[in-house]
Amino acid sequence: MSQKKSGDFGTWLMHIFLGFNALIMLYPIIMMALSSFKTNNEIFSAPFALPKSFNLDNFAVIWNETDVPRYFLNSTIVTGISVFVLLVIGTMAAYAVSRYKFRGNIMVSLFFLSGLMLPLRLAIIPLFIQLKALGLVDNLIGLICIYTAMSLPATVFIMTGFLRSLPSELEDSARMDGASELRIMVQIMVPLITPAMVIAGIYNAVPIWNDFFFPLIFIQSPESRTIAQGLTSFFGEYSVNYGVLYAGLTMAALPIMVIFIIQSKRFIAGMTAGAIK
Amino acid sequence: MSTLTEENYKSASVRRKRLRQLWIAFLLFPAVTILATFVFLPMISAIWYSVYEWDGLVRGDFVGLANFAEVLFNPQSNKFLFNAFFNNVKVFVTLMIVQNGLALALALLLAREPKGYRFYQVVFFLPVILSTVIIGFQWKLFLNPIFGLVNTFLRMVELDSWALPWLGLPETALGSMLIVNAWHWVGFPTLVFLAAIHRIPKDLIEAARLDGASEWNIARDIIWPLMAPAVTIIVVLTFIGSFNWFEIPYIMGGLEGSPAYSTDMLGLLFYRTAFGSVSAGNSDFGTGSALAVLIFIFIFTFSTIATRYLTSREVELS
Amino acid sequence: MAQIELRGVTKQFGDVKVIHGADLVIEGNEFVVFVGPSGCGKSTLLRLLSGLEEQTAGEIYIDGERIDHLPPAKRGLAMVFQSYALYPHMTVFENMSYALRVAKKSKAFIAEKVGEAAETLQLTELLDRKPKALSGGQRQRVAIGRAIVRDPRVFLFDEPLSNLDAKLRVQMRIELTNLHQQLKTTMIYVTHDQVEAMTMADKIVVMRSGNIEQVGAPLELFKKPANKFVAGFIGSPAMNFFDGHVTKIDNQYHQIRLANGVEFVCKLSNQKLSVNDRVHLGLRPESLTPNVKGDGTFKGTSSTVERLGAQTYIYLKTEIGEDIIVHHLGDLEIKSGESIEVSFNIAECHLFGPDEQRIEIDG
Repeated sequence: MSQKKSGDFGTWLMHIFLGFNALIMLYPIIMMALSSFKTNNEIFSAPFALPKSFNLDNFAVIWNETDVPRYFLNSTIVTGISVFVLLVIGTMAAYAVSRYKFRGNIMVSLFFLSGLMLPLRLAIIPLFIQLKALGLVDNLIGLICIYTAMSLPATVFIMTGFLRSLPSELEDSARMDGASELRIMVQIMVPLITPAMVIAGIYNAVPIWNDFFFPLIFIQSPESRTIAQGLTSFFGEYSVNYGVLYAGLTMAALPIMVIFIIQSKRFIAGMTAGAIK
Repeated sequence: MSTLTEENYKSASVRRKRLRQLWIAFLLFPAVTILATFVFLPMISAIWYSVYEWDGLVRGDFVGLANFAEVLFNPQSNKFLFNAFFNNVKVFVTLMIVQNGLALALALLLAREPKGYRFYQVVFFLPVILSTVIIGFQWKLFLNPIFGLVNTFLRMVELDSWALPWLGLPETALGSMLIVNAWHWVGFPTLVFLAAIHRIPKDLIEAARLDGASEWNIARDIIWPLMAPAVTIIVVLTFIGSFNWFEIPYIMGGLEGSPAYSTDMLGLLFYRTAFGSVSAGNSDFGTGSALAVLIFIFIFTFSTIATRYLTSREVELS
Repeated sequence: MAQIELRGVTKQFGDVKVIHGADLVIEGNEFVVFVGPSGCGKSTLLRLLSGLEEQTAGEIYIDGERIDHLPPAKRGLAMVFQSYALYPHMTVFENMSYALRVAKKSKAFIAEKVGEAAETLQLTELLDRKPKALSGGQRQRVAIGRAIVRDPRVFLFDEPLSNLDAKLRVQMRIELTNLHQQLKTTMIYVTHDQVEAMTMADKIVVMRSGNIEQVGAPLELFKKPANKFVAGFIGSPAMNFFDGHVTKIDNQYHQIRLANGVEFVCKLSNQKLSVNDRVHLGLRPESLTPNVKGDGTFKGTSSTVERLGAQTYIYLKTEIGEDIIVHHLGDLEIKSGESIEVSFNIAECHLFGPDEQRIEIDG
């Protein structure tokens, strides 16, 4: 819809409404970041003022005295491996479902599709017993297995959509050129859906990185905690030191926010991928 | 040359077909195995577990539907269930009106592509990418009755009587959390709606404008019916999210739904029942599983009905 | 050089039979066009030949060697697709060399082969470009080049020109014909456009709903269509048809009365018809002449007249509502709404029996 005569009352109202909302969305995040540079004293005496200096004392406390760096590492490992495995096996399955006619194709598709509707959180008890039996409780591998399994249906769903849109003549052409099925997949088809893989990757990486429910149940020892979960224990320890708490939150939020601001288009496309047909 | 028999030709093609099947099986195997092991098996086990008595991690006798009876009819515990359930209902209704209503308004405005349109999209979506843990703690700090920014601000503008312990009063705790939740998530439905509006062919809207429709007419008569698929998805996702609501109340109100169970949710109750707590006593996998099955049946039934109903009002854009 | 033979080739998708036992011989170096309306099975037949689809029954031979059990790449064929199917992420060089690279040919050999083909098709300047940066005609040439580098025994074309605009289509038609003369290789070309078929083919295979209706040289099909379908499909504008029946048979002289009342007598040595049998008379638009006496005359009202200067098309409606198209060479001053008469000569008539098969007219 094109912009119409600007300057009329309605347009002003729209800008005020949008601007006000933007302020409400942004201000708390800015306050969180600013407060992380303040001492406790400053926070109490001049909560809305700019920090006196941008000193990094609070961040130094976190870096030197807490396990937060370790949490970061754990989250990176869990998210990285889960998303990698997920994309590889999810794309393989989606490729089979979308590019080949075979008996049971519909059954397999329905199997993946029904996975979309199962809230795994409600099966946490059997899952706990199962992982305990496999020795995967309090183990990052356990989390990786859960995240991979949980995110597979959506990944297969998204990738199937993209793979279906590729023309079958490309495949035929490669077949005429003598390429094997594996080669067709790896050299011809997959390179064409890398944008889709980025979207599916973001779609899954963000919730996995942010999740704290599963670590809450499956991870106990401090050295295995993820960042989202680690924040809870960190909050217990430093409950009176506001500056450090804000610094911890800012640190936890920073990496994903930076990536988001650089790649906002892809992020928005990725995170809404499941909800937009 | 043609020294091969008809049998040889047949077997060559059979071999090719078999190879093709092996390849497809290879592609499907890892995904199917992992999904079956870590999603389907536990889901099925949950039903199975709910009809047994449990002692910690050890399965005891078959007890039929006793665990379900315990959850639903034991007056000691079912008051928690009904309290939590109605809180979840409140969550759903409020989020539908506040969060999704605001999202719709924002999307309709953004669809006009005003100046700063890209910037607004990024800003509205920014909280969505952050962990609920960060959001929860951040707002817990902001809402601190004495040092929190919210009350400091209210006192600054001389509204001292409004400077309440927001998370400490049963009347305001849930509402505060819902506003935080809306703040966290509003960007998501906004951009889903926006994408849906952008998919409506511009010709249609221009045709309506030529027919003399006002902006309000266009929004009501053209955009709203044609964005129905996005509405379906958002309503269903909001429903599922509301009845699985856990992180925000857990972080901001604690496992017992403080204050006074005013922020208790089915998710928290389930967690307490399954893994034990002050109010629910020891960990009980039997009643926990029964509760999980009931919640699942409820969510599944209603989201299916809702999807059916909402899809029936969708119009195919040809 | 390669001669191709199909014997009883049948294809079934589930319960649906799409090719009903095709028998066909294609001689070496021929340019053969499969033509027919969409859904007639011509593309399926091509895909069976290529090996992309496997036949349900029947045999396929190239130069006497049975090939229907071989995977596509081992059949010595190359195919040019309707959408060209160029690999979008590869350069022109990579596209053209892909098959050779898969076959692990040496770098020098690949460079030479691609260089040669690029030269022939004037693609040398474009070898480093991606398909996205090429025009439609250039993409088409890359697709052909990709086929050429493989030195195939047979070229298969699946509606390769249908994505081009009209002007380019005519140009590529000529280029393809020249290429065939240059390469002297068997080419099989699928199209639904009978003009392409008529202009390019040495031999046309007309198909309808999974059956081969007629095989022959373009003018043979035009002059002696084997049945009503082929008669109506080949030629533009399409042949006019009139329903009628036999009213009298006197020795070989058959009297035929059309539904619109026109009667005529013709000599048929084929004696299969009897009185009251339904027949169809076919007349090409150019066989009808306005305002001249002939063996028979239709009366009608012109609904539309298209005067192009060098030729005139007149659309007539007869009293019983039949539509007739008349093609007249030269200009003719007729207004729409005018009633006119057009006549025909027996010698230019096509007659089809109750089974819609051709009946030879002897005079």
